[in-house]
Amino acid sequence: DGEYCSQKMEEFLPKIHYVQGGYDDPEAFKRLDAAVSKLETEMIADSKSAAKDSHRHDVGANRLFYLAVPPSVFSEAIAGVNQGARAPHGWTRVVVEKPFGRDAESYAKMRVEVAEQLSEDETYRIDHYLGKELVQNLMTLRFANAIFEPIWNRNYIESVEVTFKENFGVEGRAGYFDNIGIIRDIMQNHLLQVLALVGMEGPLSLHSEDIRNEKVKLLRSIKQLTPEDFVLGQYRAAGKRQGYLDDPDVPNSSRCPTFAACVFNINNRRWDGVPFLMKAGKALDERKAEIRIRFKKVPGNIFGASNMNGNELVIRVQPDEAIYLKITSKVPGLTSRLDESRLNLFYRTAWEESKDIPDAYERLILDVIHGEKSLFIRDDELLVAWDIFSPALLAMENDHQLKPEPYNYGSTGPVECEYLAAKHGVKWGYD
Amino acid sequence: KPPPTPRNPPHQTHTLPLSTMQQHGPEDKSCWFSGTQYLSNTLTIAVLGASGDLAKKKTFPSLFSLFNLGYIPETALILGYARSDLSDADLRERIKPFLPDEPKRDKFLERVVYVKGAYDSEEDFGQLDARMAGYESGAKDEGGECDVANRLFYFALPPSVFASAARAVSATCQTNNGWKRVIFEKPFGHSLKSFRKLVDDIDSTFSESQIYRIDHYLGKEMVQNLMALRFTNAMFEPIWNRDHVQSVSIHFKENFGTDGRGGYFDSIGIIRDVMQNHLLQVLSIIAMEPPVSVSGERGSEFLRDEKVKVLQSIEPIKIENVVLGQYLKEIDGQNRPGYRDDDGVPNDSVTPTFATIVFYIRNARWAGVPFIMRAGKALNERKSEIRVQFKRPATADYLFSEAEHSAPNELVMRLQPEEAIYLKMNVKTPGLAQTTTVTEMNLDYQNRFKETEAGEAPEPDAYARLILEVLRGRHATFVREDELQIAWELFDPLLEKIEKERSEPIGYAYGSRGPKESDELFERVGFQYAGEQYHWKK
Repeated sequence: DGEYCSQKMEEFLPKIHYVQGGYDDPEAFKRLDAAVSKLETEMIADSKSAAKDSHRHDVGANRLFYLAVPPSVFSEAIAGVNQGARAPHGWTRVVVEKPFGRDAESYAKMRVEVAEQLSEDETYRIDHYLGKELVQNLMTLRFANAIFEPIWNRNYIESVEVTFKENFGVEGRAGYFDNIGIIRDIMQNHLLQVLALVGMEGPLSLHSEDIRNEKVKLLRSIKQLTPEDFVLGQYRAAGKRQGYLDDPDVPNSSRCPTFAACVFNINNRRWDGVPFLMKAGKALDERKAEIRIRFKKVPGNIFGASNMNGNELVIRVQPDEAIYLKITSKVPGLTSRLDESRLNLFYRTAWEESKDIPDAYERLILDVIHGEKSLFIRDDELLVAWDIFSPALLAMENDHQLKPEPYNYGSTGPVECEYLAAKHGVKWGYD
Repeated sequence: KPPPTPRNPPHQTHTLPLSTMQQHGPEDKSCWFSGTQYLSNTLTIAVLGASGDLAKKKTFPSLFSLFNLGYIPETALILGYARSDLSDADLRERIKPFLPDEPKRDKFLERVVYVKGAYDSEEDFGQLDARMAGYESGAKDEGGECDVANRLFYFALPPSVFASAARAVSATCQTNNGWKRVIFEKPFGHSLKSFRKLVDDIDSTFSESQIYRIDHYLGKEMVQNLMALRFTNAMFEPIWNRDHVQSVSIHFKENFGTDGRGGYFDSIGIIRDVMQNHLLQVLSIIAMEPPVSVSGERGSEFLRDEKVKVLQSIEPIKIENVVLGQYLKEIDGQNRPGYRDDDGVPNDSVTPTFATIVFYIRNARWAGVPFIMRAGKALNERKSEIRVQFKRPATADYLFSEAEHSAPNELVMRLQPEEAIYLKMNVKTPGLAQTTTVTEMNLDYQNRFKETEAGEAPEPDAYARLILEVLRGRHATFVREDELQIAWELFDPLLEKIEKERSEPIGYAYGSRGPKESDELFERVGFQYAGEQYHWKK
């Protein structure tokens, strides 16, 4: 690893150049354009002089713009790129990061602004969860394995959970986070994307538009959320850790949720009546992101034991990628005792190379270069996603009587969360 | 609660014994479904054929295993019965080397005594009875909680003396006031005709409810787990049928030949040795419908009723669905001898040491699904497993261009050498590639169940497990007479044909995969080879 890596690093670093300028300064973008054009000319000359390409006259130069800028200068930056720095010979692609608006209204405004500068084709909206190994695996898991599709519906599935847990708080980013809250930060984008992949119908092909069409279709079937569907929490000090409100960058009266759980109802033939639970929280007891499909219990159980759990398929996105199936099996030995056990696929043991699983961002940037859009969010997906969350979000923010339930730093979250699931006749799965 | 009305199992072209409920005789009413009741009663166990191989290597060690764990009370009396002239000490010396060196070993050996006698002599068995009765009355005097005395007879005898021993034991040794149970070992006949003769010969000796016929595969951990797996996991049942299953295959592979015991094997052949009993039992558990229940007083019979029902639905074997083989000398390697090179085997023997047979079950759940049984000696590895292979998903071909790298899902249950259950499935190849890869979700048996029963070794022997079931009075893991009847009806025509026509089995080299015609048969009936398994074509 080491030697090869450092050699590559020596080749890589000289390729990095710096141009200074304001995000809203057209002159700065002209300077950027000039700098890039100069570099492009050099690169083209180099590649022509290398024997292979000397006959070619059509060598283009593509430009990829990665916007890692604060939301406040977003539109200006895009305008700057479009008006000052487009690639004259080749494609121009712009990668943008969330947040994509604060709510339905602000997104509607933003998309118009962006559409004035860029085509949908050129716009690559990152949701890095789509680049995660096991999230990408969902297509293969569902459609390359005959055993899952027949039972992937309301007849056999009791509930679906998508969970995100962090075991640290906002330390250091509180100023940014307080404006956003956990729902905008994690649920409305990352977890909803994952939910769409779990619930969607089989696509026509693995072409990006076909997959995204199915995702949008699924999202459109989701009933709009109301505040009653939510449980909100905010972590407080426990042990040596300080609470959310103790952070100097957080206003004392902040009602910003650091934890939220909600239940979705999907109004289609496949999923009618199956609660889709979603949970996201900071400062909890562990770091984990997973998808959990809980199957119904065995009808007409002949073994007499009435408290046996149903099967579960668990897809652990992070840490320690794994897929496992919880089943019931006979305990080895002289009795007929039954117990839960697991069929395990641990990525770290199954593949040598898995310790080098590329970061989601590596994969995503590679896809931009290839023009492969299936791992990026389409405009209409975002519109629907905001449609689902926006009214409830704004209602909860404007209701000053509504306070998030406090929970201890390092605990499993607010107690009310259990009642939310119980209200729909199901339970959260814990391992 | 009054006992439920007895049911008759379905009748076919043969007469079957009445449902076991009706045969339930008075001798079993006390401590009916005893469970653990037997622990507080007096217990004597007689091992008939005590000087033989089976008794030494399997029976006594299993009894010790149970004794060691407290499942056989320390006051129990164990009597070895055989023709040899032995003293108690002689017998103990013989069996001691086969027992593990545990602290309770000597205590166990003290409970073992020897009674000499002929297998067909009522007088000699009378002595056995007297010995048992003497012990029982002594125990009663000492004030046991329940003055009930139970007796268990383990028949570790060769077929030639079996029937006469059964008659003699039945006539003389059922004088106790508790239950009297008998354990019978295979072979249960050599053909349908000889099986019926055997049944007639021991007619009116013991009732079906007293009889426990051992098929040790039913005592294997994984085979017992099969039922738990099928009926306690809601996700398997919806796909456990012809709509989703491509094939079911049951494999038995040994990597050694007859090694000097060819003479004995030659009259039996692989079909009688392994397929007509062990593998057929496994097949019935895989294919059966869920029983009414598996627990409670009638659980065993409900379970066995379902096994019988599915066996009756198996279509007669077609000769074009059979491949027979016989192993030849090894090519390269250690040059191990072929089957006919064995001294005890006639030079023109056509006895199969390998067979692949495809079955079809004529019912709504399984019509058209091939159930492939493959068994063989002197192959390339030692392995026994069950593979339930599922159909390829309808979407695979148009969604995944790398279709040839994906494999059909399989649920694999390995019986030996190491128990395992794994689900073969397709995932996206980790990393930046967009291809699929075949991998598995694995039930890590060895590590997962480190803690089983308190203080118990993780892998009790199949025999120990089965004997315990006899003590508990549970028939579920033993073979019922009607099951045997159907098993013989199913295989008899093929066995007769082999004997009559004496056609040459296909030769295969010692240590190879077996005849390639077997692989061709697998392929012809629809078994899907996936990449890594498909060796021979390359």
